[in-house]
Parts: sequence; C-alpha cells; structure tokens
Amino acid sequence: MTAQPVAERTVPVTTERSRAPKPRRERFAGWQLAVLGLFAVYSLLPLWWVLATIFKDNGQLFSTFGLWFSAPSHLAENMHVLLTRQDGIFGRWLLNSFIYSGATALGGVIVSAMAGYAFSAYNFRGRDSMFTLILMTIMVPGTALVLPLFLMMQKMGLLNTYWAVILPGLVNPFGLYLMRLFWDAGFPKELMEAARIDGAGEWTIFQRLGLPLVRGGLVTVGLFSFVAAWNNFFLPLVAVSRDNLFPLTLGLSVWNQTSSSSGQEPIYTVIVLGALVSILPLIIAFLALGRYWTGGLANGAVKG
Amino acid sequence: MKPSPAVPWLFLSPFLALFTLFYLAPVGYAGYLSLFIKKRAGFGPAKDVFGGFANYARAFQDQDFLGSLGNILKFGVVQVPLMMLIATALALILDSHKGRLQGVFRTAFYLPYTIPSVIAGLLWGYLYAKNVSPFNQISAALGGVKTDFLDSSLILWSIANIVTWTWTGYNMITLYAALQNVPTDLYEAARIDGADGWKLTRFIKLPLLKPSLLLVLIFSIIGTMQVFAEPFVLRPLGYVPDNITPNTYLYLVASRDGNFSYAATLAILLAGFTFLSSVAFLRFTRRGGEL
Repeated sequence: MTAQPVAERTVPVTTERSRAPKPRRERFAGWQLAVLGLFAVYSLLPLWWVLATIFKDNGQLFSTFGLWFSAPSHLAENMHVLLTRQDGIFGRWLLNSFIYSGATALGGVIVSAMAGYAFSAYNFRGRDSMFTLILMTIMVPGTALVLPLFLMMQKMGLLNTYWAVILPGLVNPFGLYLMRLFWDAGFPKELMEAARIDGAGEWTIFQRLGLPLVRGGLVTVGLFSFVAAWNNFFLPLVAVSRDNLFPLTLGLSVWNQTSSSSGQEPIYTVIVLGALVSILPLIIAFLALGRYWTGGLANGAVKG
Repeated sequence: MKPSPAVPWLFLSPFLALFTLFYLAPVGYAGYLSLFIKKRAGFGPAKDVFGGFANYARAFQDQDFLGSLGNILKFGVVQVPLMMLIATALALILDSHKGRLQGVFRTAFYLPYTIPSVIAGLLWGYLYAKNVSPFNQISAALGGVKTDFLDSSLILWSIANIVTWTWTGYNMITLYAALQNVPTDLYEAARIDGADGWKLTRFIKLPLLKPSLLLVLIFSIIGTMQVFAEPFVLRPLGYVPDNITPNTYLYLVASRDGNFSYAATLAILLAGFTFLSSVAFLRFTRRGGEL
C-alpha cells in the first residue's frame, strides 16, 4: 500500500529519540470539542427523545414538547400494556430474539472457528482459491439471498420454524475471515508439531490447545453474529409468518403498522417503550464488552 | 506423524455444507428461477414457462426498477462520502489527543450502531412525523414552518439521515482503531522531520488509513445497495414510493405481485451490480489512486 514508503523512510530516525516523552496534549481544542459535542448530541438525541416519551401517553405525545418530560407519568401504564397486549406476546418476542441470536452466535462461532482453523493451520490443495471465493461472497448482498432462500425453505418445510431464522445465520463469510486472522496471529504452528510428537490427535490440538489461544476472536465473532441476528429483519419477515415466532424487530414493526391503521386505540408510546426494551440488551452488551467491539473491522483493515 | 489429508476437510465440512446450502444454492436457484416467466394460456391460471432472458430484458426496461437504482445511486453518491468524511474527521480529532472525554465520546458515537435498523427507522419515524416531531415543535415555537420530512421529495434524504446516524460512529471506530494501531514511533519520527498538525494528518495519517477507508467504503457500498428496513417501517407513516430502494421494490414484486421469478431476476441483478461496483472500487484504488 502507499503507506509503506513513508514508514520505511521515517522509522530508522526514531531509534535515537524514541525515548523522549510523547508530546501529546491532554485537552481538546475548543473547535474540536464543539465538533465532537455536536456529533454526540446528534447521536444521542433520538435516545433522549425515547427516555422522555416512555413516560407519556398518546395525548402527551402530541401536546407536549418531545425532548422534555411531562407530568403525570404514564410509564407504569405503558409497561402494563406492553406486557399484556395480545396475551403478553411481547415477552415471547423477547425470548425469541434471545433464542435466534444466542443460537446463531454460538453455532456461528463454532462453524467459523473450525473453518478458520482449517485455513490457517493446514496446507491443502485449493486452499487459497477457495478462501478467495468465500471472501468474494461478502460482496453479495444478503438480501438478494433471502427470496430464493424463502422458496427453498418452503420446499424443505422449514418455514415457520426456529431453524428458518437460525440456520442461514450460521454461515458468515466475514466471521470466517476474522477468525482466520485471529488464528494466524494467535496460534503458533510449531505448537502443533510439538503436540503431535506428544501423541495428541488433531481434534485435541484444536480444542485443548488452539481454542483458548483465540478466545478474543471467539468473543468478537460471537458478538458480531449476535448483533447481526438481533438486528436481522428481512429474513424473519419472509421466513416466519406466525406471530408467536416473531423476533422483537418484526413484532414491533407489525405493531407499528397495525396500531395506526386498524382503528384500535393507537399505542405509539407503548411501541417506543418496546423499542427501548429491545435495544437495552445490546447496549448492555456493548458497555460490558466494549473492547471486543472495536476488534472486528479494525483487525481486518490492518491486515488487509 | 503427519495428519491425514482429510483432516482439514473435516474441519471445513460444517462451514462448507452450510455455505453450499444457504449461499451457493440460493444464488444458483435464483439464477434458475430468473429464466422462467409467467404465461397465461387461455383462461387457465398463469403458468411458469421457460422464457430465456426475457425477465432480464424486462428489468432493463422496467421504469420502476431503473428508478429504484437511480434512487440508490443518488443516495450512495451523497450519503457514503458524507458519512466517510464525518467518520474520518471524528476519528482524526479523537486520535489527536488523549483525554478523559475520549471514552465518553466514543461510547456516544457508537451507541446508534447497537440499535437495529428497524428500531432506528421506527424512532426516526416519530421524530419525522409532522405533528410529533420535536424539530417541528422547535421550528413552530420560533415562528418557522413545519416540515414534512416524510414527503416524497424529502423521504430519500430522511432515510439517508437514519443510515448516517446508525453507521457513522461504527465506521469512525474502525478508522480510530486503525490510527491507534500505528506505532507512536512513526509519529515521533514525522515530528522530528518537521511534520505536525495538518501535515502529519495529510502525509502520515491519511495514507495509513487508506486500507481501512477502503474497507469502510466497500462495506458502505454493499450496505447502501441493501437499504430496506428503514423505508419499510416508514411506509405506514407517510408516502414512501414503492421503488424507493431496489430492495423494497424487489420485496413488493415478490410479496404483493407474487412474481417470484421476476423478483429472483432483480435479486441476481442487484447482487451483480453490488459485486461489480465493489470490485471496480477495489481495482481503482489498488491502481494507486491516492485518497
């Protein structure tokens, strides 16, 4: 890449002076703070609106200022409607989302870890051309696959089952790519030779020796699969039509459609509360596992 | 002891089986389906008969489909560079100092990515709705006019705003992480050579960011071609044209018109366009085009 010549030219100069303390200022300049602050407001504004809205009823939604709170609070009432509407189906949707995302993440990690290991640790005929072929499919938009998938699953009798949403998510070319990078970087191949001399089988080497060394990769790929599955909309939209199989995204979008058209009392603020509940798990996962979130794409870019 | 040559294939087998079933087979099946057309013989129900490339010929004359491609092209040409520009600027600013506020800003910028696009579309739908929108409330309080963000003339840009809101922080983190991976020695050396501030950014940081920028660009192109959930949830709230994006049009051709073979044709074309534009950008930048 074009960065290379710059690095070659400048690196040698550093040896004599690299011990000098880094002259990095601790504070942002005023204009920088303004830019950062402005964008932070933009990023957080819809979430702030959500926090103000979950306390309102529909009347207050239209009559009070959207970005501020208003009394009296209707949070308890909204929560009650959310949890009891249609015999409490919202709880079922929440559970479904956890099942879809959990199974996709767990299965996807195992599949990607094994395949990434094969590409990284072994040399076999056709390895490089097959890896390239798989990588190229990253550029095929997933949504282009959904329609033929629907027709295929219809023939296989998979529609309206949990499998219809889980199975297609298990195979993730980008997850495989990431996993291979982690294997390349974290698993020294000399370990394999040594273990073989000690009489360890190939599966034992992978499972006992290899997997613990790429733990960070497993978490990163698992997290990305989980988020992708949690956010998936197009696939469940076509693959399941029975509402007790809906994930949260699909369920809330159906409520959003029907609540404004079917002549019932609209439940806008209840839907907003449902939206907040549906994003909380990911926000918590993000805050708890923050360091793994940045690993994904960045690693790919540096190596690529 | 040398392992049997079958071992790597055993490790690969779960991935390859699923990959064949859920990636290659659908593409092949869509290709096969796209060769059939619906034909009505006499008064009987429509039958699928072999039509060669008739569906492809139809797609290239289908004003709705071409319109959807035009929309997404307009969208991509404006939204992708704008988002990359903001993400790069934010990453460079965050990288220029180490302060306590850093983590706060990073978290704030990244949060929108954790929100599913359907939910993002739903929330922004309320923020756009003429009589609920706080922007309109503020505007009205200041004596201004109320804007209908869901009007057909604005809807494409309202969707672009949702996509920008969701993805800018995510891309920013990617670029920021790439900057943080640069050995600080390199910056030291550049400073000693007299490069600072803008020069450091222009001649050291931006070239180093190039592979990451390329990755962000490719993923943004792929993402742009796939925009679906946001317009889909905005449909009941306002006037959203059927062909606002290729995916919404494709979905309606399949679900409303029941014309699966034509929808499969559109899926193949869409995948082809995405693939070609990604490859074209890769080629273009590999050939030494400076960023």
